[in-house]
Amino acid sequence: MLQPGSALRLARVRARKHFTDPTSRRGLLVAFEGPDGSGKTTQRKLFKTWLKSEGYDVVTTKWNSSELIKPIIKSRKAVRALSPEEFSLLHGADFRHRVEQIILPALWAGKLVIADRFLFTGLARDVARGLDLDWVLKLYQPLLWPDLVFYFAVSPITSGKRVTATRTPNFYEAGQDVTHVEDPVESYQHFIARVIREYESLALIFNFITVDAEQSIGEQHHQIRQLFLEGQRRPWSEWNADAVAEWLCRNGKAR
Amino acid sequence: MTRPKPRLIAVEGVDGASVIAAARRAVEAPPRGGISHWDASGVFQDLVVAEEAAGKPSPRTLLLLYAADLAFRLRWEIRPALAEGRTVVAAPYVETAIAFGRAAGVPAGWLINLFRFAPRAAERRFATMPLRRSMSHVDGFVGFVCARMEGGTEGRTSHRVIKAANALLRRSASRDMKSRQPRQPKRRG
Repeated sequence: MLQPGSALRLARVRARKHFTDPTSRRGLLVAFEGPDGSGKTTQRKLFKTWLKSEGYDVVTTKWNSSELIKPIIKSRKAVRALSPEEFSLLHGADFRHRVEQIILPALWAGKLVIADRFLFTGLARDVARGLDLDWVLKLYQPLLWPDLVFYFAVSPITSGKRVTATRTPNFYEAGQDVTHVEDPVESYQHFIARVIREYESLALIFNFITVDAEQSIGEQHHQIRQLFLEGQRRPWSEWNADAVAEWLCRNGKAR
Repeated sequence: MTRPKPRLIAVEGVDGASVIAAARRAVEAPPRGGISHWDASGVFQDLVVAEEAAGKPSPRTLLLLYAADLAFRLRWEIRPALAEGRTVVAAPYVETAIAFGRAAGVPAGWLINLFRFAPRAAERRFATMPLRRSMSHVDGFVGFVCARMEGGTEGRTSHRVIKAANALLRRSASRDMKSRQPRQPKRRG
């Protein structure tokens, strides 16, 4: 288990070689980010269908969906027992488990991974809950950067209208744990404005591709196809070497 | 009569039974306090019932869960007791988790950041084991996670991690002991 520096160095070299091999189609990671009600899931489904028709082997992973951690989070959310720190740490654990069990194995096998929400969701929501960005970002280390991040931008009003049109937002979705506003719809409006503010800062810092999610579904889909075709030729991010190397070492694939 | 000062005492060690025994001794001394055990939130208990298909968690995942559990303990057990002026014994606290993480190859910087939210204990006690003792059957947090983590089912891996974590804790204990010893005045030649 103890990983000497030489094993990690070897694993980094192996990762670089694997992901920059010009003779094979490398794995790609595409993240869909944005507030609730921005239409990410609809676009993700359309994008997946199109990618499959283009011959890509596609794997989808959703936020808070690991079989190991999801039940733990679900039961605690049901009794409203989570503090912002616990909320953040449990979602971080769920993310880490999916990175190791789903995302990295699929990327290594040359597949295209679509992440319906990525670590930026954790950052935006946790900082909106008052946690320190630096602390939260480091929880997600070693960082795995997507090849492309599509950010679906909507105003807080549009998000609120779309979400509340069919249902009442739940306690944590509405941020009632931090706004202490009794009405979930009113609380959602306050909380989502904070989340969107954080997303907008992250979009600038991490160079997201912003999609105007107030456009029609068809317009957005065509824009995403175009942006993907331009963006998929980006070189492999050297920043990902640590995350891949650690995973290789744990799985005995360092050499 | 002056009111005793509330204190947080951390009892660290890889062997659960030794940690509990040391924690009990610590709370029996006046002023009597309470013990905050690991997994008060039940997250690790919930891991036990997870399906095999869910996959084995890595040390980082397990440490994130331990930190979530510690945040729960701080909120519901440790901070309220300190606010009431009582002594609390955290068994274990931060150092054991850090030792496990280091032994499992997790970088120290990540571990230090992870537990940044936890206040420093007023006193640390160590329930470590002799280096030569067999550690194949330790219980408590370290034994639990070593048995469940990726690669932990290979007896040698978990045995090595437990041994390394124990050695790290022994080193911390000896550093603490040295820092408590009064300094000898320097002799003039």
